[in-house]
Formats: sequence, C-alpha cells, structure tokens
Amino acid sequence: MIQKKICMLGAFSVGKTSLVRRYVQSVFADQYLTTVGVKIDKKTVTVDGREVALILWDIAGEDDISTVRMSYLRGAAGYVLVADGTRPATLEVARSLQSRVSAEVGDVPFVLLLNKIDLADQWAVPDAEIDAMTTAGWWVRTTSAKAGIGVEEAFGELARRTTAP
Amino acid sequence: MSANDRFLEALLGVQSSGGGVDRKVLARLLLQAARSIDAERTTAAPGVAPLDPRFEELRRVLVGGEIDQLARLSRQIDDPEQFAAAVSRVLPNAIALADSRDQQRLGQVLAPTVERAAQASIRKDPGALAGIMQPVMLPAIRKSIGEAIDGTFQSLNESLKASLTWRGLRWRFEAWRAGKTYAEVVLQHSLVYQVEHAFLIHRHTGLLIAHAAAATAESQDPQLVSSMLAAIQDFVRDSFSQDASGGLDAIRLGDLLVWTEQGPYATLVGVIRGKPPESLHDTMRATLAHIHEGHPHSLEHFDGDSTPLAAVDTDLQALVNLRQEARAKKSGFPWLLFLVVATLLALATWWFLQWRSESQAWQRYVDRLRDAPGLVVTGAVKRDGKWHVTGLRDPLAVDPITLLDGTGVDPAWVVAHWQPFLSLDIPFTAQRLRSSLDPPPTVTLELEGDRIVGKGAASRPWLQKARAHVATLPLGSPGVDLSAIRDINEGELGRLTAAIQSHAILFDPGEALPSKGQDPLFERIVADLNALVELSSRLRIAPRVVLTGHSDSTGKGANNLSLSVARSEAVRSYLIRQRGVTSSLLAVRGAGMLEPVNDESSDIDRSINRRVSLSVVIDE
Repeated sequence: MIQKKICMLGAFSVGKTSLVRRYVQSVFADQYLTTVGVKIDKKTVTVDGREVALILWDIAGEDDISTVRMSYLRGAAGYVLVADGTRPATLEVARSLQSRVSAEVGDVPFVLLLNKIDLADQWAVPDAEIDAMTTAGWWVRTTSAKAGIGVEEAFGELARRTTAP
Repeated sequence: MSANDRFLEALLGVQSSGGGVDRKVLARLLLQAARSIDAERTTAAPGVAPLDPRFEELRRVLVGGEIDQLARLSRQIDDPEQFAAAVSRVLPNAIALADSRDQQRLGQVLAPTVERAAQASIRKDPGALAGIMQPVMLPAIRKSIGEAIDGTFQSLNESLKASLTWRGLRWRFEAWRAGKTYAEVVLQHSLVYQVEHAFLIHRHTGLLIAHAAAATAESQDPQLVSSMLAAIQDFVRDSFSQDASGGLDAIRLGDLLVWTEQGPYATLVGVIRGKPPESLHDTMRATLAHIHEGHPHSLEHFDGDSTPLAAVDTDLQALVNLRQEARAKKSGFPWLLFLVVATLLALATWWFLQWRSESQAWQRYVDRLRDAPGLVVTGAVKRDGKWHVTGLRDPLAVDPITLLDGTGVDPAWVVAHWQPFLSLDIPFTAQRLRSSLDPPPTVTLELEGDRIVGKGAASRPWLQKARAHVATLPLGSPGVDLSAIRDINEGELGRLTAAIQSHAILFDPGEALPSKGQDPLFERIVADLNALVELSSRLRIAPRVVLTGHSDSTGKGANNLSLSVARSEAVRSYLIRQRGVTSSLLAVRGAGMLEPVNDESSDIDRSINRRVSLSVVIDE
C-alpha cells in the first residue's frame, strides 16, 4: 500500500475536526491537538484501482497566540488548507499558512477547502475571489463537512495528485 | 608597437632584470633611439662617457616612481614584522579561497600541522583542549556511561535476585555444565520480556515502512501509530532539545517500554513488554544497521511506497520473535533463602534455649549459694563468656564448688571471688562454741529455735570457763543457754565419789602390804568401784580412781616415798588381780609422809597416816 503524508492546516473552528470526524479513520483523541499540537488520522482512498493511505497530520489550528510547529510539516507529500467560507479572515490565515508551508516543504500539491458551503446565506467569499485564486494556480474546493459535499472528491483528487509520477 | 614603446619596454626590462643599470646598454639603446629619429647619428657618441651623470638623471626621470615603490616593497618583504602584518591581512581570505577551490588539498596540507599543533597544545596544557572538547564529549560520555550503568544495574539486580534461590543454584549448575559464564545463563533465563511490536519508520516523513507484531500483541493501526510516534519525537525534540539528531530513546509506561534507535533514514521502534536486557539495544541497533546496509537507496528515496522494502519484514519479524518466557512461578520461590533463614532461625532458637537453660542453671546455682548459710552473694554476672560470682564466705560454710553438683553449670565456666567473714548464723556459732569450749562428752550443745542450749553434766571448772566464754560472744550473736548443764559432782556421782574417797586402807609400820582383817573394807571398796564403773558408763564419763600411798613420818623420807608408792601399787595389784577391778580405772601415786591425815602425836595417829587413800578424778 502507498502512504502519503498530508498535513491539514487552518484557523480555529473552520471545520477541520468535523471533516476528520466524518471522513477519516481516527484512533487518537482530540486532546492530542491541544497537548502535542498534532493528531494523526488516516484517510484511505482508491486511485486508479490502487489503495492510497493518506496519513493526515491534523495540525493544531492557528490564531493570534499559537503558531504551527513547522517541524510537523517535514516530509509532507501534500497539504490541505481549510478555511471557513463564512469568515473571510480564515481565508487570510489560509493564505498566510500557504506561503509559510510552501517555504517549508516546497512545491507540493495542496488543496484549499472552503468549508461550510451549506451555510449559503452566510457565505462571504465572492466567486470572483475564488476565481482569482484558481487563476493564480490554487486548487480550491468548496465543501460542507456537515452536508457531505465535495469532501470525498477533494481527498481523492489530492491522493491522485500526490501519487502522480 | 612604436619604437618608443619598445625602447621604454627594453629600458624597463633592463631595470627589472637586475639591481643596477648596465649603462653601456642604456647608452646603446639611447643611441639607437636617437638614430631612429636622426639616421645620421654615428655609432659612437662622442663626448658621452659611460658614466655620464646625465644617464642617472634620465633614469630617475624615467622610472624614479617605480624605483621608490620597489624600495618600499622590498623593505616590506625584508622586514619580518612588516611582511607578517601584510600577510596577516590577506591570510584568512587566502585560506577561504584555497578551501573553496580544492577542499581536500588544503585539508591534507594543513592536517599534519594541525595535528602537531594539537599535540603541542596538549603537551603544554591538556586543560585547554579538554575545555574545547567538553561540550562535545560530555553529552556523548554521559549517554554512554548512563547506558553502561543501566545495563550493569539491571544485570546486578537480576543476579542478586537469582543468586539466593534454588533457581540460581540450578543456573550455576547449568553454566558449569554448558561451559558458559554464570552471567550468560542468568541473562538467558532471568530477563522476562517480549518484543510486541517493531516499527520501521521513515525519518523524514514519519511514514511506516514496515511493521511486525507478536501474535499476542494488541495494536492500533500501525500506520497511525508510527506517524504519531514520529510526531511525538518531533514534539519532544522541538520542546526540549536543541539537537536535531537526538530524540526519545525510551518511553516507559508501566511494564510497557518503547525503545527507539535512530538510523540515517529510518527509525526502529520496539515496543517491549516486561524487562528486556540492555543488550536488546544492541540487537535493535544491529537490526537497524542491517536494514540500512541492505536497502540504502530505497530508504533514502522512500516516497510512501513500501513495496521495494518488503524484505525488511524478515528483520522485524526476527525482532518480535525475541522474547523470554516467564518461568513457572513455583520455581521462583527462594528455597535457598528459605533454608538459610530457617537455619538461622533454628540456630537462634537453639542459642536462645541454650542461653536460657544456661541462665536457669546459673540461677539455680546462685539460689543455692544464697540459701547456703555462711555465704553472702553480692554479685553474679556473665562476663567474657564466664560466670563471675562475688561475695562473702564464712570459712565454716560449705565449699561453693560442691554446690555446683546437679545444677548443670560447668565448674570450668565459673570464676568465684569470696571474701572471708564470720557469720553469726546459729549453726556456725554453735560449731565455734563447740570448738572453743571443747565440751566434755557429758555435755551437748543443741539448737533450739534461735538459741543454742547446752545439756548434760560437766565439771564445775568447765562450766565456769564456758560461762565466761559465752559472755564474750559478740553482740547480736545467737543466745546461748548453759543453765541446763548440771554440775557433774552433784547427785549420784557426787555421793559415790564421796563414798569411795571416804575409804582408807591401812598398813602396819614399814609394811607394803595392807594389814590383815580389812577384807570387808575391800568388799565395800570393790562394790563402790564397780558402782562407779557402772555409773560412769551411764554418764558417759571416764573417771579414774587414784590410789595414793602414804607413810608415817618415822623413818627416812626417801624410804617413806618408795614405801608409799609400794603400798599404792600393792593395793592396785590386789584390786585388779584378786578383785577383778578394771585396770584402766586405777592409777597409783606415792605421797610419802607429806600428806598426813593427822598430826602424829600418837601411835594411833601414825597408824591412820599409814594408809592408801582413794580419790576420784573425772577427766574434763
């Protein structure tokens, strides 16, 4: 089986934990996030008939006080940035994280998940901005962990990209 | 190039080729130069001497600046201090340049010098280099010593635990039989552990390369576990250690141990239950080294696909097969220890009983001593393995040694210190009285209560002596009552004595034999004497009857004396032979004419004086 180290990053309460709970195989308690600053989960996806285990390093969320431990990013084959589509500030955090992460791990595949698409009336990210990011080379997906929209596809696509020769 | 230029070049060439200037050459050159301007000039330059000072002037004009510069440079090179200062300005850059061009060359060139410098430095002051090396060496040494001590302690622990048990003895036997060291056998047997999991984790990504687990081991998803282990390693390293190559060597959780060995590309993690020997570290290191040797390329370029590394499973499987079965609990019972303790207990009990019986025997002896009259015990202790007894002893008291009989105390272990004293105990007082009074057989001194009572009969002189002696006894002595002793001369014996002493056997003048017609007198005398014998045997006294011969005053004194002796002898002989009187009863004595009964004023008086008188003497 092929394994890939994938880091999951994002500001607090962007729905990372919900994503993990719903779609990911997990054996460690959430406390690891607050104690060690990272929790390992696994998402198994099938790419071209082959199973790929995405070893997800769910890295503690970032706010004004805490910063991500960069050593956890070492050796990542890709990463998932999560932002809350109803809070544009979290998108800023994601942008800032992306620049730091890419400096640390280099040019590896990543996906930005704009979560909480189910909260349409509170959505605060204009399509134009998404288009702009896409044009700039970002790969953006709108998801809803709650409603189960776009998540599987996102993980599948990330697995494909990281295993591409 | 113009001619002028060539000229100048030649000129400078001449200048630079030597210290001085070949003025002939210079002159020829100048001439050629002049000819090139004016072809008419002749070869010889009339009026121009080789030492023309104008040449000097010309030279100074042409190259004066360079000459000054050269002089300065040569001064700088010739003066060591200036030269050193100049070199020092460029040396670091020069070394850096040389190093960047050809690293090996500079290293090779400098190595011997650096080695010599280090040697010289160490010879001069080892402390300096030690100070430099300390930050590097100390952690390494500390770690190495720590591991060695850990190992030693564990082995020691196990050995101690094992050495006093039945199992320990069995292992010694096994070691002897198999020709192994005892330590090897102990290691083989005593360390009970099981490697439950072996993880081979890619260092860079934290991804699992391979995993093996024992059949009995429970486990979570090994991929998740390995990444979490890697994350925790990172966490610990980030949090506590500056050294990127270090990390967690061991984690302990109850009887579960997580041991980690770091390799260049992969980390080997063993999860061990129980108490592994320190040598398991070596085994793990060897396994990891073996894996790295076998797949250096695959490990270095691991990208999450563990297929090329499938072969390492064998190595990991070998590791999880490492285990040491726990022995049956029963054999763990420390029989030898039990035996030793039991023996010690038995010895202690025996010793205690011995000690108690000895003490009891001693106490019995001391009690006997205390009870014995005339002995006063002031101290009885055991010292230096011997029993010491001190006290006072009346010389009349029993010999203390004889009291040992039957007590069970060995006389050899007894040391006695007795001070003599006089006891006022009644028996001793009585004994002393008997000794000093020497009572006649007719007297007994007996103990009645707390008094000594004399009984029987004694002569008056003895009685007087005895009473006087009793009066001198020390105050506090037992009472002595002599009032019951009769005067022996009173009563029947007195009367009989008086009767015997009233007899007198008469003699004719000059005759040694008694006068005729005194047979009735003899009858009475013999009857009285027999009565005396009979009485004396009753009274248990030994009386003697002294026959004293007398003569009258006629005739010579010497004759009278022998006559008186003859008369007493005659009476004694007669009484013994003719009358059967006991010979031992009778004694004879001659008084001559010195003890007359009457003054000899008449023949009757004289006849009365010619006699044998009897007197009773009772020996005291």
